[in-house]
Amino acid sequence: MPRSERNQLNLGVRVIWAGALCACCLAILVGRLWYLQIVKGSFFRDRSENNRLRTIFITAPRGVIHDRNGEPLVSNRPSFNVELVVEDTPDLKKTVADVAELAGENPDELYERVSKQTKRRRFEPKIVLRDVSRDVVGAISAQRHRLPGVVVGVAPARQYPFGDLAAHLVGYIREISSDQLKSVTYSGYRSGDMVGQSGIESSLERYLRGERGVQAVIVNALGSKIGEAYTQPEIPGSNVFLTIDKRLQKVADDALVGKKGAVVVMDVKNGDILALSSAPRFEPALFTGEISKDEWSDLTDPKSYKLSNRALQGAFPPGSVFKIFVAAAALSEGVTDTHEKTFCPGFLQFGKRSFRCHKHSGHGRTDLFEAIVQSCDVFFYTIGQRLGVDRIHYYARDLFGFGEPVGLAGMEESVGLVPSTKWKESYFRNPQDKKWYPGETLPVAIGQGAVSTTPMQVARALAAVVNGGKLIKPRVVKRVVAEDGRVLEDRSQAPEIARVIDIDPAILQELKRSMLGVVEDKRGTGHAAALPEVSKIRVGGKTGTAQVSSRESGVDVEDHAWFAGFGPAEDPSLVVVALVENGGHGGAAAAPIARQIFMQYFNVQEPQKPQKTDPKKRSRVEVNRVDH
Amino acid sequence: MLTIDRRLLTHFDWMLFSLTVCIPLVGLIVLYSAGYDPEFAVDFLGWLNVEFRSPACFKQGVYLLTGLVLMVVGMAIPTQTLYRYSFAIYGGALLLLVAVAGFGVVVNGSRRWLDVGLFKLQPAEFMKLGLIVTMARLLAKSPPKNAIAYSLRELLVPAFFILIPMGLIAQQPDLGTALSLAIVGVCQILFVGIRPKVIFGVVLAVCVLAYPAWNSLHEYQQRRVMVLLDPEADPQGSGYHITQSKIAVGSGELFGKGFQKGTQTQLEFLPEHTTDFVFSVLAEEWGFVGCTFMIAMFFCLLAAMLRVAHRSRDLFACLLVVGITSQIFAHIVINIGMVIGLMPVVGIPLPLISYGGSSLLSLLFGLGIVQGVSMRRTLFTSV
Repeated sequence: MPRSERNQLNLGVRVIWAGALCACCLAILVGRLWYLQIVKGSFFRDRSENNRLRTIFITAPRGVIHDRNGEPLVSNRPSFNVELVVEDTPDLKKTVADVAELAGENPDELYERVSKQTKRRRFEPKIVLRDVSRDVVGAISAQRHRLPGVVVGVAPARQYPFGDLAAHLVGYIREISSDQLKSVTYSGYRSGDMVGQSGIESSLERYLRGERGVQAVIVNALGSKIGEAYTQPEIPGSNVFLTIDKRLQKVADDALVGKKGAVVVMDVKNGDILALSSAPRFEPALFTGEISKDEWSDLTDPKSYKLSNRALQGAFPPGSVFKIFVAAAALSEGVTDTHEKTFCPGFLQFGKRSFRCHKHSGHGRTDLFEAIVQSCDVFFYTIGQRLGVDRIHYYARDLFGFGEPVGLAGMEESVGLVPSTKWKESYFRNPQDKKWYPGETLPVAIGQGAVSTTPMQVARALAAVVNGGKLIKPRVVKRVVAEDGRVLEDRSQAPEIARVIDIDPAILQELKRSMLGVVEDKRGTGHAAALPEVSKIRVGGKTGTAQVSSRESGVDVEDHAWFAGFGPAEDPSLVVVALVENGGHGGAAAAPIARQIFMQYFNVQEPQKPQKTDPKKRSRVEVNRVDH
Repeated sequence: MLTIDRRLLTHFDWMLFSLTVCIPLVGLIVLYSAGYDPEFAVDFLGWLNVEFRSPACFKQGVYLLTGLVLMVVGMAIPTQTLYRYSFAIYGGALLLLVAVAGFGVVVNGSRRWLDVGLFKLQPAEFMKLGLIVTMARLLAKSPPKNAIAYSLRELLVPAFFILIPMGLIAQQPDLGTALSLAIVGVCQILFVGIRPKVIFGVVLAVCVLAYPAWNSLHEYQQRRVMVLLDPEADPQGSGYHITQSKIAVGSGELFGKGFQKGTQTQLEFLPEHTTDFVFSVLAEEWGFVGCTFMIAMFFCLLAAMLRVAHRSRDLFACLLVVGITSQIFAHIVINIGMVIGLMPVVGIPLPLISYGGSSLLSLLFGLGIVQGVSMRRTLFTSV
């Protein structure tokens, strides 16, 4: 090869050009590296941190709700949730449809639920199905390879060992709604959290919820956990001890099966609520899983209002139960005494209107005792007229607390109403309607008209009558104990007395005597509440039969049946208020419920005598029914 | 033939040699981290009381030792011999490529390897050498008639020699290697010179042919190019490589996260981090400083090779060195460009650093040839 060739071409220049080209290209690379590593370095540093850390939230088990004897009414059990990591799911629609098929759900409905955009961290699993059965868990685990991003998570779920026992009182929990998420009350919550929605679960949410744990997990590119960066363990919710006695609650719940109504059992000395029952009840366990549309429409059916706690949230006319408090007012104000007798012809003519007594043939000459025992309306029309509505309002509301919130553990309640001239003036807008007519006082005197109250208020007021005039704040939470044993709240000490009612104890004694008569007297309307004589335990009370709608409207609805009782006679410790909505006569429908509770409380056995089927007794009960 | 002439040693390029050894050694450090595997332990280093837990690094070390032997062989081959047998090498490599097309082993959807029992042979590697020597011979034998630059007609034959193996490799499909083959050939031609008119015409033709060429690309190749333009569009799919690599590189910042501290690498967010994306590992763990140092070393290597080209005895030797230099240069630019998101993801390893026996062996052999050219620059023997 001739060397001359080499000289023909100026290789030096070419080599320099080539070197310059190399330098340029490599300089571009260095420039780009400068941009990535120096200019945007911290941005990419963050990205790499996000890449490797995933935050996992651990649901804390909610506090257990116990009865007063420590028996758990609501506890926890492990449950399986089907969860989905959206980032790991390339075809969300298909995967959701596959899951729906395995779980037997409607794919479109499920997809709609999953695709609802909620605030969520990257790679945070979304709960698709709650509390699925083991079969579904098995089916999904077996199909994992074709369900990318689907994981089965374990989380605590509520367990109800006694089914729907005290369902309204303990309430239910459900996933936080989007409206709740927006409210300030739920500022620390995340979507998917389970939140108490009613009853104790809701009002003691702050104690029961506990604190979720946070785990920052180091993962590799496949999403598998390879270590932990930091862990903040979850703190279980605090345990709540209620004042409820499970056995009494069971009796109350059972007595209301198939009915609409409520039962309140309260200790008159310290205000402990021993049973608080409402019917019809719902299964709180329904809310742990997914609720079908049928189940939901059944729960919210306006005909039964299953979710409403009638003992607190139902406002009903008290009917004749109210007479006790009108009588207290009348005796205190001196508008009548225990000796005055009024003649009851079966009605009272007031102006042009005639107000009927429930016993159309009339009670004849009755004094206060007789009027309470036989529940004579005419007697109370008369003394009500003398008192006037404002004095009734003063005694019923300002002293006995009708129309005043009870504030039971912060649970939702109705306030009720005792009318007054002032109330009427402010309530109506039309000037003609603002005036109170004396004729309107008459129905108020027998607990009808605009008067409405909750069973809880009746129990509180009756307790004040029998405990010597102390209006006690009822309580249902006895103790709240944190997981580590700290007592967060203890209400088992001295009862909270709202006020001491300024009424002569002799008057209260007289009312008690009358109420004992209601149960013990042969003509008493509440005879069905009487305990077997062998027990030697005497109870008293007052029936109520509240008209629901006026007869003129033509709608034939059964009256609300009330019984408000106490026992034992000598030193009352317990009041029982039973309400059966549209139950008919208080003495027939409500008094037997109260009796069952007294029997349980005083541990009285039903005597094994053929008396039950004694035709004489039967006929007497029937007479009672006709009479009242 | 090997140890005869003492004059050979006088022109031994120590600069080139030390870079040739140092760069793979630095590469071994990076590979140790990239290929770290806690399950793996080598016994024979037990006396050092150092736990050696990187199979990739270990194997690469073995390849390096083998490669250094191969480099000596490359040094020993007289330049004239290469000149004489250039067509034979080219023809043999071409036959192997045809054989691959016929009975190659399919791995990951492409037919690139010949199974020869002990190991798998990638004939494209041979073709690189074959093309370099053939082009050097063609161009050296017929330099431009005007002694400045080639006309189009003069380039027809060299173009023919480039396009045949390129087509065979492209259909495997191995677009990266096919392109680097073309780049090497074109670089050699450009080194000698092309008339501006021709360059203009070729650019025009490429533009016209771009559309049918684009359509002939495989879908995954098209996607890789598209993803380069907008990697965020598909971060889980085709953009994953680029996105993760950029995170790794960028998160290294100035001084890096430290040896074996790269989360992108150690947690395997970074794909192929011992082979094509090994530079990301370097960038993540050693930062901008480490990257710049590595690029500077590469520049020194390229400069040393070009110096050899400049001092070489004749045009053939010069073009031979230029060919090998351009191959290394193209691989560096394409690989690092790909890693930092300037080029599409093509399977090109980083010279002397990426894990892989055939790449390292062929490179060291090539560098041996370059050293051989340097050693024989004043030798007027007609072997």
